[in-house]
Amino acid sequence: MATKKRYGFVIDVERCIDCRACLVACRAENNVEIPFTRIWVMDLGLKGGFPDLSQTYVPYNCMHCEEPPCVEVCTSAATYKDEETGLVLIDQEACIGCGLCVEACPYDVRYLDPKRGVVDKCNACAQRVEVGREPACVSTCLGHSRLFGDLNDPESEVSQALREARSVQRLVTDDVDPGPNIYYINGDVLEPAMLPREPRYTAAETFWRKLAIPAVVAGVGLSFLGQATFFIKQLLEGEKEFEE
Amino acid sequence: MSHGEYIPLAERKSLREKQIKKHNIANILTHWFNAGAGALLVLTGLGILFSPRLGIVPDLWLEFTRNVFGGTANLIQFHYTVGLIWIAVLTFNILIGFRKYFIPFARNRMLLDKDDIEWLKVKPLQMLGYAKDKGLPPQDAYNAGQKIYSYVVVIGAVLIGFTGLIVTFHKFVPWPWLIQWALPVHFGAMGMIIAGWIIHVYMGAVFPEEKEAFFSMFTGKVSALYARLHHSKWYWRYIAEEVEWEENILEEGRQLQKESAAAD
Repeated sequence: MATKKRYGFVIDVERCIDCRACLVACRAENNVEIPFTRIWVMDLGLKGGFPDLSQTYVPYNCMHCEEPPCVEVCTSAATYKDEETGLVLIDQEACIGCGLCVEACPYDVRYLDPKRGVVDKCNACAQRVEVGREPACVSTCLGHSRLFGDLNDPESEVSQALREARSVQRLVTDDVDPGPNIYYINGDVLEPAMLPREPRYTAAETFWRKLAIPAVVAGVGLSFLGQATFFIKQLLEGEKEFEE
Repeated sequence: MSHGEYIPLAERKSLREKQIKKHNIANILTHWFNAGAGALLVLTGLGILFSPRLGIVPDLWLEFTRNVFGGTANLIQFHYTVGLIWIAVLTFNILIGFRKYFIPFARNRMLLDKDDIEWLKVKPLQMLGYAKDKGLPPQDAYNAGQKIYSYVVVIGAVLIGFTGLIVTFHKFVPWPWLIQWALPVHFGAMGMIIAGWIIHVYMGAVFPEEKEAFFSMFTGKVSALYARLHHSKWYWRYIAEEVEWEENILEEGRQLQKESAAAD
């Protein structure tokens, strides 16, 4: 979906030191209750042999995809892609906590908050972005690993970083590519643990689409056609009033 | 259409004049409350179904309802509110009216007898243009078609009510699968009712032979002629009750006369 702005993250994996200040900043900014979190850092483990060792940490959160499977599956558009900013947001007043989107998300970045009965995830601190500030995780990032901005704007910090990067990767596979808007630069993050899975759809949703809707359409359609036939007959033959 | 009975003209005329009561005011009000709430709920309910994977509601309507109510959350809140009022009013009416108005008439209103089975065999054939010469068996206050549809409505309304409560109070439902299944069940039950409702509206408001049934939902009354030809079992029971009532009054009068004669 083409939006006016295309807010996204650029993450320089070379600069992440796994301090997890971003997790703390996110929790504080958005009142995310323990044990939940909207943001993670994946440790890909030691690589190579001594003395050529390397270790990569991959921060991740909602990818604010271009074609988000979570938005597509949401019954009511309680979760939606903002037309102005391109951010994938949740209207928690509208959310019924059915969890269809949690199953659908290929990156498993959504969770169901049982206390409030709604789904929660990264909203790129839309409340801060709206007033011209960066998301909490970005402004707190010690190593300046996390960048955030409008990917449609060639002058933005993220666009410049992408141009100057030695390498650019996105977490996609041949089968699953919802158009994630997190770009990883200057490092290899395409490990199996990071790659997206196929969107999952629940039995109830399949039942709805494959059985309930065709049955209702057929039932209502037949009933309407039957009624229409009699109505046309009534018009053609003229009305025979009951009272002669 | 043959109703299997010849009534001489003079009697026919007087039967046309005579009005007999079919619905009480509680039934009429409940019916129109149901119709109004139902219309609001179906229209807003369809407006909620935004998912392109479902793809049954035109975008125009999805946008329109959101514009009218100011967003998805408000639209859903409105649907919840009307739904809760609908459940509250119907539950109240059932609680206060069940013993007085439903239990005594349940047999005539819901149970299918031999005549009803016969009606179900003949009527569909007649609608398709066969067996025109065959007379329809006598029917009670509600015909066999209405009786069958009443099951759909009762079961559908209970399902819609319960699944609606599950979604409205999702905060207190610890199992997401229950909410996930509540949605298609809510939708399916609605579809089941709507399929029959189309026939209900056509027969009630458009089909000329049943015109009296439509006006009876405002006045509560139908003509004796209509009752006798369309719902003869109910009509003759009504007449029997009327005769019994008259006899009781006469008996009372005779008793009083006897007593006053004895006092003299």
